[in-house]
Amino acid sequence: MRTIRTTLLGLAALSLAALPALAAGAVGETAPAFSLKGADGKTYSLADFKGKTVVLEWVNPNCPFSDRHAREKTMSTLAKRYGGEVVWLGINSTNAEHRDFLKPADHIAWSQKNGVNYPILYDETGKVGHAYDAKTTPHMFIIDKAGKIAYNGAIDDDPQGRNEMAKRLNYVNAGLTSEKSGKNPDPASTKPYGCSVKY
Amino acid sequence: MKASRTALPVAALFLALLAPRPALGAASEWSKNPQSSVRLVTPWLAAPREGELWMGLHFKLSPGWHVYWKNSGDAGFPPAVTFKPAEVLGKPELLWPTPHRFDLPGDLVAFGYEKEVVYPVRADIVNAAARPLPAPSDAPEGAAPAGDSLWITAELDYLVCEVDCIPYRYTLTVEQPLGDVPVADPEISPLMEAWVDRLPRTLAEVPGVTTGAVLDASKPDQPSLEVRVLGAKGVPGRTELFLESHEALDAERPRMRTTPDGVVFHVPMTKLDANKALPDQTPIAWTVSNLTGPDGKPLNLEAKRDVQVWKEAGTPPDPLAREAAKAAADKMPRMLLWAFLGGALLILMPTVLALLAGEAFALRSAEAEGGRSRVREGAAAAACGVVGGSWAVAALSLAAGRAGWPAGWGAQLQEPVVGALFTVASVVLALNLWGLVEAPLPAPGRASGTGRHLLAGLFTVPLALVWPVPPLQEPVGFAFERGPAAVSAVFALIGFGLALPYLLLAAAPGMVRLLPAPGSWLPRLREGLGFLAAGGVFWLLYALSRQVTPEGLAWIQLALLAMALLAWLRHREGTRKLSKVVLALGLALCAAGALWLADQNRLTPRLEDSNNGPPRTARESRSSLTPGG
Repeated sequence: MRTIRTTLLGLAALSLAALPALAAGAVGETAPAFSLKGADGKTYSLADFKGKTVVLEWVNPNCPFSDRHAREKTMSTLAKRYGGEVVWLGINSTNAEHRDFLKPADHIAWSQKNGVNYPILYDETGKVGHAYDAKTTPHMFIIDKAGKIAYNGAIDDDPQGRNEMAKRLNYVNAGLTSEKSGKNPDPASTKPYGCSVKY
Repeated sequence: MKASRTALPVAALFLALLAPRPALGAASEWSKNPQSSVRLVTPWLAAPREGELWMGLHFKLSPGWHVYWKNSGDAGFPPAVTFKPAEVLGKPELLWPTPHRFDLPGDLVAFGYEKEVVYPVRADIVNAAARPLPAPSDAPEGAAPAGDSLWITAELDYLVCEVDCIPYRYTLTVEQPLGDVPVADPEISPLMEAWVDRLPRTLAEVPGVTTGAVLDASKPDQPSLEVRVLGAKGVPGRTELFLESHEALDAERPRMRTTPDGVVFHVPMTKLDANKALPDQTPIAWTVSNLTGPDGKPLNLEAKRDVQVWKEAGTPPDPLAREAAKAAADKMPRMLLWAFLGGALLILMPTVLALLAGEAFALRSAEAEGGRSRVREGAAAAACGVVGGSWAVAALSLAAGRAGWPAGWGAQLQEPVVGALFTVASVVLALNLWGLVEAPLPAPGRASGTGRHLLAGLFTVPLALVWPVPPLQEPVGFAFERGPAAVSAVFALIGFGLALPYLLLAAAPGMVRLLPAPGSWLPRLREGLGFLAAGGVFWLLYALSRQVTPEGLAWIQLALLAMALLAWLRHREGTRKLSKVVLALGLALCAAGALWLADQNRLTPRLEDSNNGPPRTARESRSSLTPGG
């Protein structure tokens, strides 16, 4: 397993070697490019999804907020609804030395158990997380078809999870709806909540 | 049978212990988990039936775990609570004690509280007596009849974090007895008071303190916020700025610097939406912790302002320019008083005392020969020399400041060559008082002309300047922050303080008769004063030890010793004119050598070299360069 981790680290480092010095992921800025290995063993590059809307979700299965939203299927329901129109990617920037770090098999098991129907990418060096200035799990980004960041912030307006799903304002859904109708998301940025990313 | 008789009271006692106890004050049961415990408290045994009601969310946290401030920082979220009955309590306001900063991995920060915190809650009871309230369904048996108590329920959600975070949700219920005469709870009331004291104060509560901010957006990609506090002192490393969340901006770590008036924070900001232009004004709220207020007491301050967004090129305006000018005007009399007292304190410094004593006895001799008018003339000349010397130093310091050299109290000792010059001057004074070197200075037992007294006054100033007495730090720093007019005024007052004995003698020349008449003891006194001046040399050598290498210091000491040797030889052997000139040249050479050695063995870069770096304020110069600083 150590070999897998080392390989993943090496691949991530190689893929990020050409990463330019990037501004943090402010709305309106070009989304920082990345190429990361998924828990499924495949490599995912942002460049592969040129011309498509992309949703990025920073995740950590050991964070109660990530885990709750996975169980409540906050994102997987949306991902299913938007089908082939929107590319959905989860990114885990947990440091490989941190106790929250999950091996790919465990990550896949977590995804399967909770119905997470999109790939989870490994960013254990934290370079992509820092490039986007991802702070919490979950922390959501919408990248528009032009490759610009259209939304940066929280998953919804209910940090405590007090309200029923129907009564929550799902910022990602609102942003994608705006995108679809050719408008900029409003709000385009909110304060994300949750656990800190375990860099 | 005997056993059953014994068991009955024991069982009764056991049951009594288990039964709900009557409310002692108003506090809910602790809700506990491995990371934290929380309860709802009020400071009343009997609360008023109407008006303001204080409550508190009392947390105790396991080591390493924290809960959050209203801006949780980069992660987490603050506690959220709803109170019932809403029809009696209205909308209670959750208040936020001054937080701490927690650094998290990945250069993230969080703001909150560790170990223990009480979040005070302020509510208004709306005529509880007129609304009979049923006890909630989960109220303990034996609860007080409705109407005598107010049952308060708090639905609380909070997040407790260490490295990991765990959210908790509790319903906290407290029975608050009501009464016509409010009675404070002796246990909880002091606890509540302590945490209410930790709430930051508003400006209205702290007269003499003001705060303001300006957002510099002249470089759209690199906006920065400057927050100023006037009238309160900060401590680097302890005083912190906490910004509340802003819808369009994200704050990076603030950098603080102190000024004579207060503190200034510089905060690099990041725009969250590059597509949206910043408005001309934007509301920003902040809290500053660990200040010292004008009354000398600890102060945490909060403010919310519509902050000007500066979009033009150039330096943004000072958000508190008007307040700063007013504060400076208010502070000026105090600074001038300190300058005068500091100047007077300089009289007690060994080299200054030696020179002044010599001058006083010279005036005593003048009185014996020429009467009081000679004393008045001589004292006035010396006073003019001192004040003129002070102004000359002020002018030199301002010119040095404009050239980029540091200026301020203590700055004179940061340049090794200047320090060595002062040392040589003190050695010359000591040698003069020992009678080994003739200098054009007045001396005990010798009447002197007005010009000599003027020169003595002038010479007093550099000898005084080598003593950076603490009371002068603030007025001199204040003056250099304010500009030439303030520098002139402050240095004039330092001069007047230093010239106090001369001013007194000029005003009342008869006072010189308080000194004993000149006699055979005077030469011994003069020699004794020489040792006082020599004492000053030790201080200067100590100051130099911070500026030059140990080897350099040893060579400088050798040069000073050579000066003393040459002076002694010149005094003893130098009867011929040629040998006198040769020895005087040798003396000058040794003095120049001491200055050269200081320059060659410096520990700090030359000022002209260091001027290539960022400009330094007078205060920064003082703090980093005075001995021991």
